[in-house]
Amino acid sequence: MRALPLALIAAVASIGALMLRAPERLDPVRSWCGPSASRPLGCGEGGVNLLAVVANAEVRGVVLAISVALIGFAIGTPLGAASALARGRLERFVLRACDLLQAFPTFLLALAVLSAVRAPTRFHMGAVFVLTAWAPFARLSLVQTRVLRDQAFVDAARALGAGRAMVLARHVLPNVLGVAAVQLGAEGAAVVVSEAALGFVGLGPRDGVSLGSVLDQGVAAMLRAPHVLFVGAACVFVTSAAMLLAGRAIEAKGG
Amino acid sequence: MNAIARALAATFARIAEALVVVWLLASLVFFALRLLPGDPAALVLGDDASPVELARVRATLHLDLPLGAQYARFLRGLVTLDLGESLRRPGVSAMARVLESLGPTSALASVAVGLGAVMGIAAALLAVGPWLRPRARVWIERALVATSAMPLLAFAPVITYALAARARLVPLPGDPDAGIAGLLFASTLLSIPLAAHVGRVGRAALVDLGRAPFLVVARAKGASNLRVWLRHALPVASGPIVTVVATQLGALLGGAVVLERLFERAGLGTLILEAYASRDLPVLEGAVVAAGALFVASQAIAAALQAAIDPRVRA
Repeated sequence: MRALPLALIAAVASIGALMLRAPERLDPVRSWCGPSASRPLGCGEGGVNLLAVVANAEVRGVVLAISVALIGFAIGTPLGAASALARGRLERFVLRACDLLQAFPTFLLALAVLSAVRAPTRFHMGAVFVLTAWAPFARLSLVQTRVLRDQAFVDAARALGAGRAMVLARHVLPNVLGVAAVQLGAEGAAVVVSEAALGFVGLGPRDGVSLGSVLDQGVAAMLRAPHVLFVGAACVFVTSAAMLLAGRAIEAKGG
Repeated sequence: MNAIARALAATFARIAEALVVVWLLASLVFFALRLLPGDPAALVLGDDASPVELARVRATLHLDLPLGAQYARFLRGLVTLDLGESLRRPGVSAMARVLESLGPTSALASVAVGLGAVMGIAAALLAVGPWLRPRARVWIERALVATSAMPLLAFAPVITYALAARARLVPLPGDPDAGIAGLLFASTLLSIPLAAHVGRVGRAALVDLGRAPFLVVARAKGASNLRVWLRHALPVASGPIVTVVATQLGALLGGAVVLERLFERAGLGTLILEAYASRDLPVLEGAVVAAGALFVASQAIAAALQAAIDPRVRA
């Protein structure tokens, strides 16, 4: 049930994106005009149809968020489990790296890397987000493996001659996946917000199809056309909240 | 004697780690700008620059040297705080522009940390202490959870619209005479997510303490409710609170960039974005490294504070 809002948003946005294909199309006569029958969310700068922009931005943003969260999960979970099994220096190093990366301003890192790219796309953004996205998963799986590694069934597997890789893949990972998956929703929500924030400060995709650019237009035209600002803010909030809720659904199932 | 030696060693390890982090960030910026496809000089000048101009920019940025020599120059520049001149404002050193922008950002962030800590602790105390009815306490907790899930990017523009454009209570974004009111409003917005996190963690820590014997003793000695919670319970709960502030510092710095853009305030974020838009590489490198150093320094301060408050961390 908790995954419903996210599914609903994704469905509505995909239908919208399929029906309104050209979100960049300008219609200067309608610049900043309010909601009407043909433009249910009104128009933005240069008369772009906000519904088309938001629907397309939503689809692309959600796809980006889910892929980044899954890639982070796929890298972080085995890494954390393996380093906890190896113990000693490697374990301490990974834990400390997680500490730093989790508190590190991802935003700053994104600025640093994207500044080297001529025209940042969502692919570049995703690559930057993955740089830090693995850390929370690695930390959760590391801590969980610390509990598991001394348990009887792991000792038994070792005594039966299973190597480290075998112990990791067959005995530890299956027990760690559910715990680490809890973080997927929070990570997805963070990516949605970071992507919008980058778009807001002008580092987003050049075509302006991003929730952040909608917000940016809305702030610039705050006095003339406040509806643009509300559309952008509501979309960012609803999407990130839906991601968090969907994450809670995983938690309820796995935990 | 042994304790002092250990404290010194711990401090030294911390400083070394902080330097390594700044060095890694600096190297990342340096190599990203030089190794990713695309000639930096062409990025600076645009596609239709003449070869003569390109060669001139390459010479000013020392892009004609071998990569190793460029890197050595860059590191030396960081240490001596001299990254060369700003490309867009000839005659002004890049570092001068960075240092000048550090002030407003530090002011914004430190006021926000102060406000966030005070508001969060107040909310946590109200949610646990005996002052409110149980139902009101539950509502405070719900409000804290809801607020901490609310992205700054979504609520800051809406609140700004309501208070600045509608009610005219605070200066409009971009107002050059915003002054102290502008600073206070921006840092209040920035402090809201922090306050929510502090409130949640503080509440959890205080609830755990609620039935602790030492609080019963304090009450038995006749201490007032306020004294029991503020003087006896709060110091014990301060460890987790400082930790959560430290983990939120990165998000705070990101939020500061967003708010500087929203209110068109001068600061490190604005400088980074301006240097990015105009491809002012020396300024961009300096500003990103400075922001990283600011982050690392505030982390170190948080760790030192934690050790000063909580003897269990010092070991």
